[in-house]
Amino acid sequence: MFSVYKKELQSFFYTPFAYALTALFMLLFSYIFANNIAKLESSNKLMFSFTEIFYSIIIFFIFLIPIITMRTFADERKLGTEVLLMSSPLNVAKIVLGKFFANATVFLFMIAGSTLFPIVTEKNGEVVKSQLICAYIGFFSWGLMFIALGMLISSFTESSITAAIIGEIVMFADLFLDDFSRTAFISQYPKIQSVLLAFAAQPRFAYFSQGFIRLSDLVFFATAIIVLLSWTYISIERRRWNRG
Amino acid sequence: MITIENLTKYYGKNRAVNNISFTINDNEILGFLGPNGAGKSTTMNMIAGYLPMTSGKVTIFGHDISREPVKAKLDMGYLPEIPPVYPDMKVTEYLSFCAGIKRIPLGKRKEEINRVMELLKITDVKGKLIRNLSKGYRQRVGFAQALLGDPKFIILDEPTVGLDPNQVVEVRKLIKSLKKDHTVIFSSHILSEVSEVCDRVVIINKGDIRAIDTIENLESKFSTSLALHIKVKGSKSKAASIIETADGVKEILSIDEEGNDIYSFVVQLDGDAEEIQDKLMSDLLGNQIRIVEIFTEKPNLENVFIELINRPVRKDSLEDLLDEIVPESDSSEDEDGEDEEKEEI
Repeated sequence: MFSVYKKELQSFFYTPFAYALTALFMLLFSYIFANNIAKLESSNKLMFSFTEIFYSIIIFFIFLIPIITMRTFADERKLGTEVLLMSSPLNVAKIVLGKFFANATVFLFMIAGSTLFPIVTEKNGEVVKSQLICAYIGFFSWGLMFIALGMLISSFTESSITAAIIGEIVMFADLFLDDFSRTAFISQYPKIQSVLLAFAAQPRFAYFSQGFIRLSDLVFFATAIIVLLSWTYISIERRRWNRG
Repeated sequence: MITIENLTKYYGKNRAVNNISFTINDNEILGFLGPNGAGKSTTMNMIAGYLPMTSGKVTIFGHDISREPVKAKLDMGYLPEIPPVYPDMKVTEYLSFCAGIKRIPLGKRKEEINRVMELLKITDVKGKLIRNLSKGYRQRVGFAQALLGDPKFIILDEPTVGLDPNQVVEVRKLIKSLKKDHTVIFSSHILSEVSEVCDRVVIINKGDIRAIDTIENLESKFSTSLALHIKVKGSKSKAASIIETADGVKEILSIDEEGNDIYSFVVQLDGDAEEIQDKLMSDLLGNQIRIVEIFTEKPNLENVFIELINRPVRKDSLEDLLDEIVPESDSSEDEDGEDEEKEEI
C-alpha cells in the first residue's frame, strides 16, 4: 500500500500539479480574505469570520477536488497500468486505500497553505483558535468525503476529464442538496425531505464552523467515506469481471 | 509447474476463450501462438490474474490464482501487450515502484533494479522520463519490470512487438537465457520467433486450441509427407482415379478447376518423391492426360501454422473433393458447413 501511496504522491509533487493546485487555492482564499478585510473598513465591527471564508471558498473547492481525484483510476486504465497493479501481489483494497491517502495528503497540503492567513491575522489581532480548529476539522472531513466520491467517479470512466466534470456536477448537487430539500416543493413531502437532508453534508459542516464537534457529524463523514471507498472497490472489481 | 484447466472466458455473449487446457513444465519456454484476435491476450490476462475467468482454473506452482491470488502472484512476472509504464516517471522511479508492489525487500531493491536494467540494457536511460523514451525502450522497461524480483514464472505477451531487428535478436536471446531457472509462457503471432525460442507451442485460434506439441514434432508430422502439385488437362475423374491409386500417394488434399479443362491437384506423398512423380507422369500421359505443371513442395512450419489455424476439418474422401467442383453438387454432404467459403464454379 505504501508503494502505491508513494507513487501517487510522486505524481502529484514531482510535477507542478500539486503546487499549481495549491497556488490556485491560496489565490482564491486570499481573494476572499482580502475582500473580508476590505469590508471591515466600511463597517463598524472590527471582526470577521474565517469560517465564513470557508463557506465562500467551498463553492470553489468543489471544482478543485475533482481535479485531484480525476486521474486516480481513469488514468491507470487509459495507460494500461491497471494490469500492472492487478497482476501484482497487491489487492484492490490496498490500491484504493493507498490512492485515497495520497489524495488526502495533497488535500492536506492545500489547506495547510491556507493557515498562512490566520497566522498573519494572529500577528495583528486575535483569532478565535478553537472555532478555527473546528472549522478546519469540518472542512477536512468534508474534503475527504468528496475525495472518496471523486475516486468512485474516476473508477467509472477511462477519461479523467469526464471524471472531473461528472465529479463537479455531483459535488455541486450535494452542496445544494440542503437548499434544495428545503424548497417549498420538497417540503410537501416530509419523508423525501428527511432522506435528502440525511445526505446533505453542508448542515453538518455548519456545526463544525460554529465550533461544535458533534460525534454524529464525524460518524456521518466517516461512514460516507467508508461507503464510497467500498463502492470504489466494488466498481473496480466489477469492471474487471464485465470488461470487454 | 503451471496448469491451466478448462479455461473459458465470455465477454458478454462473445466467447473469447473456449475451454482450453495445457500445462507449462518447469524450466520450459512455452510458445503461445495464434493470429491477432485469437484470444492470446485474454488467456494471458487470466493466467496473470488480471481478468477473472468465466470458468476454469489456473494453478501457479500449486497456488490457485483465484483462491490464493497473492501467493500465486508473488512468484510471477507479467509483461502485458501494452507495456504498463507511467509516462511521468523516470525509469528508476518506475522500477522502484514496481519493486515495492512486488514486495522486494528495501535493502535488495537497488541491486535488483540495477540487475534488470543491465539485463535489458536500459541503464543508459535510467534517469529519463519514460514519456521521452522510444517505443522499443518502453517495451524494454516493461520487460524489466516483469523480471524484477527474479520471479520463477514469467508471462510475456508479444514482447518483441515494436522493437527493431537488433533488439528483437537481443530480447530473444534474453528469453532463451531465462529458461535456465524460469518457466516462461511467451505469446507471439510470429512463427519463426516461436520456433526459435520455444520448446513447445500451443496454437490457438478463435479461442480454441488447435495444437499442442513441440516444434520438431509439428514440423516432422507435416514435413515427412511431401505435397505434390500437379496441373493436368483432360478428364478430371480419370486423372483423379489414376492419381489416387498410384503407389506412394497418401491422399489427395485438394482439387481445383482452373478453366479450359485444366485441373490442379494437391497430393500428399508417402515415399520417394522423384520415383512417385515419374511413375505418376507416365501413368497420366499413358491415359491421354496432359500434364501442364508438376512440382513437389515441402510444407514449412509457416504452412503448418496456417493449415492448423484455417483448416479445422479435413475432407475425408475423394468423392467429397470431387463433389466440391461439380456445380450442381449438394452441399449437405460436407461437414460443418465448410463449403460455405468455397466458391461455386
